[in-house]
Amino acid sequence: MTAINTDHADRAIVVGRKQDNVIVGEEIVRHRAATRWIHWGVAFTFFLGLITGMPIWTPIFRWMAGLVGGLEVARVIHPYAGAAFFIMSVLQFFHWLTDMHFSQDEKGGWKPRALLRYMRWEDEPAAEGGKYNPGQKFFFWSVTLGAIGFLVTGIVMWFPLEFPKIINELSILIHDITFICFLVAIIFHIYLGTVAEPGTFRAMTRGTVTRSWARLHHPGWLRQITGGARKP
Amino acid sequence: MTVQTLEVKRSSAAVWGSKTGLRQQTTVAKYIDTSTCIGCKACEAACQEWNDLKRVPTTQDGSYQTLPELDAEFWNLIKFREIEVDGSLNWLMRKDQCMHCAEPGCLEACPAPGAIVQYANGIVDVDPEKCIGCKYCSTGCPFDVPKFSAKTGKMAKCTLCVDRVAVGLEPACIKACPTGCLNFGTTEDMVALGNTRVKQLQAVGFKDAVLYNPEGVGGTNVVTVLKYNRPDWYSLPVDPHVPWGVKLWKKIVRPLGVIAAAAAVIGVFGHYTAFGPKEVPGSDDEVRR
Repeated sequence: MTAINTDHADRAIVVGRKQDNVIVGEEIVRHRAATRWIHWGVAFTFFLGLITGMPIWTPIFRWMAGLVGGLEVARVIHPYAGAAFFIMSVLQFFHWLTDMHFSQDEKGGWKPRALLRYMRWEDEPAAEGGKYNPGQKFFFWSVTLGAIGFLVTGIVMWFPLEFPKIINELSILIHDITFICFLVAIIFHIYLGTVAEPGTFRAMTRGTVTRSWARLHHPGWLRQITGGARKP
Repeated sequence: MTVQTLEVKRSSAAVWGSKTGLRQQTTVAKYIDTSTCIGCKACEAACQEWNDLKRVPTTQDGSYQTLPELDAEFWNLIKFREIEVDGSLNWLMRKDQCMHCAEPGCLEACPAPGAIVQYANGIVDVDPEKCIGCKYCSTGCPFDVPKFSAKTGKMAKCTLCVDRVAVGLEPACIKACPTGCLNFGTTEDMVALGNTRVKQLQAVGFKDAVLYNPEGVGGTNVVTVLKYNRPDWYSLPVDPHVPWGVKLWKKIVRPLGVIAAAAAVIGVFGHYTAFGPKEVPGSDDEVRR
């Protein structure tokens, strides 16, 4: 690495451009720049798909179409937003895949009872856990499945005249159900990533978290990067 | 203000179900007698002319039929079929166009408010200005009638000459028919006419003659006399209905989805008030930066 002029640059930001899982002063880089860009890419394309899809889904959200210039414009943009979302999702999938395997003691950590326990803040994070907890891993795999569901049904809905009627009916239905699950999940995802767990959102902007944040939420990960007991 | 005859009874993508006008109007219908149709295609020409549609290049498919199916610029098509019945050849001809269903699948599926409307007189019409070209109506229609125009990016179909009907004229196709196999009037009168004709046909030997007015879509405002009770011989669906997928999605999944989303938002607020944030022990200022 070339010498960094730390007189003018924020060292945590500079280090976080290329590296993550490293300690910089009082902070730990959790997501390097590439990770953040990919995730913001997913977020922006998702929301573009959301504001162009929801007014078509139900007239209750017709006002959203106004944000892009009307329902007709929304319907033109929507499939391209969806295609961009899928491409970003693929990038994100391979970017995060290695961290997302469930370890032996995490099996069942995504079940409703465990998720409820987590939401009651009664959960004791596994000391042996990795960078992500079982709930996050579950979310990762659900989103992957959802993105595939969106893609397959979306292609049918983009070119409906090329497919039999029954395939069209099923596609609209599955696209809707996938979206409903996504919407509920995204509401909780954003809630957890912002106000519910202070100190988390900066991992997506600045890229760093504090040591005490890491100790509370991901003690295993903290131990790994501080050179304690290592576990893949 | 809408013209009285064009009061909207039902509209696509209306939040509160169907917008029902209070006027009790009689509905109008087309009567088609396939047994006296001679296949002259005068109705096709009249439709193209009245609706100012350009002539679509015809195709030769080994049949007398103008085109394989309806087109965004060809709303009225005589379908020709050769069928052998009891060793004798039957040349079946049926005028195909929008059936103007009492429960239109296209309107049910359409996500654009007001793009498909059903007037109080029963006519189902497309408003191109509101159509967004998503082709959902094509999925919803059991008769495969609405066709997409690549030129306009909109769907198009027979309007039952709503512009003529609104001023007291009969549709162009009816006006042009030289044999009287087409007729136009109130739905009630046309169904009665059809039933009379079916009895005549039965009396002269066509034992299973029938009036095609399918219940699955609440009846159609185009009633068709068939010599044989085999709608499929006339390229008609045997038991058309609004697709179950469309009903399930519009009437159940969509409202449940809106409720689920609202519940998630309420749940998140409830959670925050009941459990609060999961604070990191130590200096708040440092963490919240």
